Amino acid sequence: MTDVLIVDDEPLIRTGLRAIVDAEPGFAVVGEAADGAEVLPLVRSLRPDVVMMDVRMPAVDGIQATRSILAGIPEPPRILVITTFENDDYVYEALRAGASGFLLKRARPEEIIQALRTVAHSDSLLFPAAIRGLAARHAGGREAERMRQARLTEREGEVLELMAKGRSNAEIAGELVVSVETVKTHVGNVLAKLQARDRTQAVIAAYESGFVSPS
Amino acid sequence: MRSVVRPLVSVTTYRRWTFLLGGTALLVPYALIYAGLLQILGDVRHGATRDLLDAALMLAGFVAISSAVAFVPAVRILCRTAAETLLGVRLPEETPEGLRSWRSRRRTAAWWLLHIGVGGGTGFAVVVGLPMILFLLQRPFAGPGPGRRFLGQDLSLPPVWSVLLALAALPAIIYLGAGVGALFARVAPLLLGPSPADRLARLERQTELLLERNRLARELHDSVGHALTVTTLQAGAAVRLLDTDPEFARRALTAIEETGRTALEDLDHVLGLLREDVSAKTPQRTLADLGGLFEQTRSAGVEVDAEIGDLGAIPPVVSREAYRIVQEGLTNALRHAGKVRVTVRLGVRASRLELEMTNPAGETAPARAGGGRGLRGIRERVTILGGRMSAGAGDGRWRVLVAIPVVWSAEDPSSAGDDGIEQGSVKAR
Repeated sequence: MTDVLIVDDEPLIRTGLRAIVDAEPGFAVVGEAADGAEVLPLVRSLRPDVVMMDVRMPAVDGIQATRSILAGIPEPPRILVITTFENDDYVYEALRAGASGFLLKRARPEEIIQALRTVAHSDSLLFPAAIRGLAARHAGGREAERMRQARLTEREGEVLELMAKGRSNAEIAGELVVSVETVKTHVGNVLAKLQARDRTQAVIAAYESGFVSPS
Repeated sequence: MRSVVRPLVSVTTYRRWTFLLGGTALLVPYALIYAGLLQILGDVRHGATRDLLDAALMLAGFVAISSAVAFVPAVRILCRTAAETLLGVRLPEETPEGLRSWRSRRRTAAWWLLHIGVGGGTGFAVVVGLPMILFLLQRPFAGPGPGRRFLGQDLSLPPVWSVLLALAALPAIIYLGAGVGALFARVAPLLLGPSPADRLARLERQTELLLERNRLARELHDSVGHALTVTTLQAGAAVRLLDTDPEFARRALTAIEETGRTALEDLDHVLGLLREDVSAKTPQRTLADLGGLFEQTRSAGVEVDAEIGDLGAIPPVVSREAYRIVQEGLTNALRHAGKVRVTVRLGVRASRLELEMTNPAGETAPARAGGGRGLRGIRERVTILGGRMSAGAGDGRWRVLVAIPVVWSAEDPSSAGDDGIEQGSVKAR
């Protein structure tokens, strides 16, 4: 069973998402929050697998809430950012803070379920085209310099490229014809060399440095 | 080669010639007036010798008499129309105030003098030249008698030369008109176009309108986008639960109906505003109206402590935008912090208008990085006016700082920033 916590300041969005998620076998909404300020205690008590997190909320926004969850909770849930508009710099900030993916609130019910499944059950990321474009817009010389200094090996570079395409470790292992353990080692090295806290940060660095280009 | 021939065959040349001949036509009545005046003057003085002072006085008299009519605003419209249609220049539109300003009238007078003086003079080339050319052309074929004489003089030119001269004179006259016409087309925007002050005023109005429209467009995008998202999501959920949970489906449909209706009302409202000519209907408020704004805010439950310095020499545009900034700041305070005490400090220091607004951050302080709609509006205005702003929370208080140059100057950018205010950006993280 995948437990989901929904955070959004608009009640109609919460009821809509809850209905869709609850109707899906294997998924259950264990709680709702109307603001980022309520999230941390709820995550502690309910231990959800995924938090669907709105970005813009009146008191504590999704960026701050994401940061506090990832910093304050051991083995934190995956965070799926939900948003009204795709060209939203705040969404990007939330991903930078360590969210695993992003989903438009207007997505079809089956897409919503698929997104939850993706972030909950694998280590892959959900980076739709709009976010890749946002990342490229944030491109700067500093990130490119960081990427150069990281001196990734050729194999590590390939792994990072596949990570940026949203592949899970198992999928990367399949494509490169190596074991999952080897992929995990490569991923670990990439994160260490890029000084990235998690997969999302590494992929964002890859886009911002121009190492991979949005397409 | 083509560019050499073009003036001869171009319609523009002949249109411009019409313009120059217009000057000649205008010159005729003036010439009659001058002739009359000279006659009278001569009679009074009994043909006294003319000295330099006399000549200067007469020139001044010419200028005064000739340009007098150009001080009537309607003549400027006439001149502009003539220049646009006959010279083929496009003149930027002029405001009614600009049309009536004395600066414009003086420029019209200058144009008028040029038109009848230079233009009219050039036109005489046609008046005199065309009969001359006809005379030269017919000369070889005319027998002895009046046909061989020009203005009573017998020309000693060989017949072949007179034909050649005629053939050369025709294009020369056309080129003359093309050249002088082009010169007039160059000068027209300077003398008949809107003055710099007029252009500034127009730009200012356009900026205001644009700001307002941007704000409305953004609000529309936000509210309609939000409503559509809610209805899409609710409809998606309703379809899924139609059979298993009809009660939910019923509630979802009601929510969709209400959300759609509210969004449409929003749309109606904003479109209504967009259709109105905002600048024409609402009087622009300035810093002089702050007292009223504070009263209004107090009646909404927000205490305002105002400390207003000397605001003497602030340009109107800064004054208007600063009023809007204070207004948005107060609205923000009410929206995010509730009914709290707001401190507003306003004054001019080092040729900058400085504004500081602080209020207790409260429990629902704006935590959004980059700020909400209100802050964005403030930033937009500040950026357009070349100023700087910062906003953020500290020591439990929310603080907005704005500095706008009161005189436009190319300030050394390196001197900026030591006051803790960033260029056009918001620090709120």
